[in-house]
Amino acid sequence: MQDWNEKYLTFKQKKTPAKNKAITSQSTGSGNAHPTPQQKPVDLELKNNLQTIQEILGDNGDLVVRNFRMYGLYDAAIVFFFPLIDEEQIHEHVLKPLMNIPSAPLTIPTQLSDLPNFIWNITVHIARGSTTSDLNTLPISLVEGNVILFIDGVGQALTFNLRKNEHRSIEAPQTELTIRGSREGFIENLEANISLIRYRLQTPDFRVQTCPLGTRSRSQVALCYIEGIANPALIKKVMKRLSAIHTDSIIDAGYIEQFIEDQPLSPFPQVQSTERPDKSTAALLEGRAIILVDGSPFSLIVPALFNQFFQTIDDYTERFIVGSLIRLIRLVALIFSLFFPALYVSIISFNPELLPTEFAVALSGGRAGVPLPALLEVLVMEVFMEVLREATIRLPQMIGGALSIVGVLVIGQAAVAAGLASPTTVVVVALTTIGSFATPSYSTALALRMLRFPLIVLAGCFGLYGVMIGTLVIINHLLFLESFGVPYMTPYVPFKTTDMKDSVIRAPLWWMKQRPSFLNSPNSTRLAHQLPKAFSDLIFKDRGDEYE
Amino acid sequence: MNNNRPITTFQFMAVIISTIIGVGILVFPRYMVEYGGNSAPLMSILAIFAALIGCWFTASVCRKYPNETLFVFSRRLLGRGMADFSTIIIFLFFLNSTSSNMRQFGEVCITVLFKRTPIEILMLILLILVGLSVRRNIVKFTYIHVFYLPFILISVIIILMLSLKKIDGLNLLPILGNNFTLSSFSKGVFLSASLYQGTFILILLVPLMRKPKQAVKAANAALFFSGIFYTIIVIVSLGMFGMNEIELLIYPTLELARSASFGTGLLERLDAIFIVVWVISVFTTIFTNYYLAVYALRELIRIKDQRLISSFLLPFIFVLSLLPQNFFQVYDVALVTSVIGLIFLTVYPFLLWVVDLIRNKGGLSHEK
Repeated sequence: MQDWNEKYLTFKQKKTPAKNKAITSQSTGSGNAHPTPQQKPVDLELKNNLQTIQEILGDNGDLVVRNFRMYGLYDAAIVFFFPLIDEEQIHEHVLKPLMNIPSAPLTIPTQLSDLPNFIWNITVHIARGSTTSDLNTLPISLVEGNVILFIDGVGQALTFNLRKNEHRSIEAPQTELTIRGSREGFIENLEANISLIRYRLQTPDFRVQTCPLGTRSRSQVALCYIEGIANPALIKKVMKRLSAIHTDSIIDAGYIEQFIEDQPLSPFPQVQSTERPDKSTAALLEGRAIILVDGSPFSLIVPALFNQFFQTIDDYTERFIVGSLIRLIRLVALIFSLFFPALYVSIISFNPELLPTEFAVALSGGRAGVPLPALLEVLVMEVFMEVLREATIRLPQMIGGALSIVGVLVIGQAAVAAGLASPTTVVVVALTTIGSFATPSYSTALALRMLRFPLIVLAGCFGLYGVMIGTLVIINHLLFLESFGVPYMTPYVPFKTTDMKDSVIRAPLWWMKQRPSFLNSPNSTRLAHQLPKAFSDLIFKDRGDEYE
Repeated sequence: MNNNRPITTFQFMAVIISTIIGVGILVFPRYMVEYGGNSAPLMSILAIFAALIGCWFTASVCRKYPNETLFVFSRRLLGRGMADFSTIIIFLFFLNSTSSNMRQFGEVCITVLFKRTPIEILMLILLILVGLSVRRNIVKFTYIHVFYLPFILISVIIILMLSLKKIDGLNLLPILGNNFTLSSFSKGVFLSASLYQGTFILILLVPLMRKPKQAVKAANAALFFSGIFYTIIVIVSLGMFGMNEIELLIYPTLELARSASFGTGLLERLDAIFIVVWVISVFTTIFTNYYLAVYALRELIRIKDQRLISSFLLPFIFVLSLLPQNFFQVYDVALVTSVIGLIFLTVYPFLLWVVDLIRNKGGLSHEK
């Protein structure tokens, strides 16, 4: 295996389509897992080898060294970390065949140097593994879940990958629920996640490039894309950014996101993270790339644009008219959650004349006993709401639901009764909070939730003018932002007619003939047939046949 | 987008239109009526053609050098000294234009929105917003204009539509005005034409245009569109208020918004909302002027750091905008400088155009 930098360099030079470098290709991988400055040959003496390994790994309770006599002829030992390894398989596929004294001893090679080949070819039945003569790589393959076989008198060590894949079963995603769509979500295990995508995408063009990342954690990071659909320039860019990560640990996909995003100072996410394999697959088919990290149930989709963050898989699985309407409603909710409290503050403290007179009177009647100015009143209530929301995430699930209802009802009611807040304020704050839940992307909803506060302050100081200035700041920022070189507000600005079919509305699937043009896919057409004819046939001719 | 000429013709037009529609919307009908009475609509139509001259020369001379900005090729055409001198004038003009727009905006704010808030703070907020935006490159600059243009147009169009039913046709007659004099008429045309200096921004856009050949046509179309837009505003406010009343109103367009209402229901007065949306159009106009000033200074002292210059100019613009003593002085200064600007921005491109023509005839080749 190479590291990301080497991968990037080879990808850059590569002109012809690459051969499949799936995760299973580890069996053919022969190089260094972790480039070390000097190689240290495997000693001929078994004892010395074991000693060196134990010196490097120190005193470990879970390191197993098992000495045995191979074929009843040679001294050998296997070394492994038992928590990482499936011991059943060691017994069955390593120890049993190796310790078996063959009935026809003549088949066993007499030359010691022939032994590794013999073991691979005849004895062990394990798909993944390698032979190495470099002692320095062995500690790393040990911690990666390999079993190492030393044979006395042989200057090579054999590694067998018998990693035990313990993971939770595949469940419905926790954060992105859908009505109509698959119920599967990613889990922590990388192989399982890749299999979830692979079985949705049965094309030989699907590519998975894996490499460990993080000098200490050595988490497996997989970059997935579809050859021929994803633009090679994009893949190159992603690889370059991945290769530039120099850290000791990648605990979650979120770590990668922060290393590769374009503008770390922006509140808006420039990488989409999702728990849904179907969403990831759809992104791959649009020509995007996704990044999976071992140990994280999230995949990262790049590039990610503002447009994506209020779309869900439901929009596509539902029929297009309804899908478009729901998407519009979601957009309204998004705008609502950002502006509603700020507009409320500015209207009641600066421009009450915008309201109908009766309503303005009722409103000020409600505010009669409130000691705080509107700005502080809304600000305090919003902060309460955020505290409540944060608390309900941390609470155990059994009481979380109960507390949120109790919290909203009781605190809201009590605040009004005690004269701390006006009833309208409570309504505004509640609507804003509900509105922010309608945004499917958690990280965008978070950004908007936080941007609400400066807007409220601006509204309290400068009224509608302040809200406008705040809005201009936010929109300008969005227009300046880029995700992997793609302007963040595409397809609105720069305006792309073909991409507008999948924006605030969702055009019928048979109308969206092109993949998103801003991704510059080498193969940009996704529908084969000429649309208007096929559609009219579908509607008029075929339907007619049934009744004839 | 991997090409290095990303600006489409549509975006090019959008920048020009949103630049032209700016602070002027509010006072424009009053100016026109003050100079020409009932001939205001006619004046503003003629003004479009007066403005077209400068625009045409600028665009056609830029089209001949589609890979460089005017600042660069003017050095080759006129020589370094001459070109730098003109760049200084351009810089000073747009610096002044930025601060003047800023001050006019502040004056509107304190008369309409915030009667007791100090004007400095209102202006400073907008100035910082613009100053931060100017730090970005021209493509991003274009995106901003394109994004905001629909909001500017739609808000004004809604106000105009709501006012249409209150127009009295008699207010518009006679078309030539009651006491027509050529001097005041031409003065009005000049003044109105000076609104359109924003078209000068095309010198920065042409080098990035996908089809620079269309620059002339697109610039003229954009100017014409915004000219018609202004004319409609004049017609509607004249038709609604009549010339005598307009002269009494400081901001006739705002009064249009004030008298428009959405039925009798939810929104009883639209003027506050109108002013707020108008902030966008002021922002885009000031943005262009600031950008041109920064760019001109950048070309003048030949450094690449736009961020530095943007921050460096900010206090100067702020102080400059605070110099006029009062409201009336603001508008007087604005009138004088904008007419000077109009003359310069017409004559200078014309000069370049002529020099280019002579040099071309003389056989000196340049890259096409």
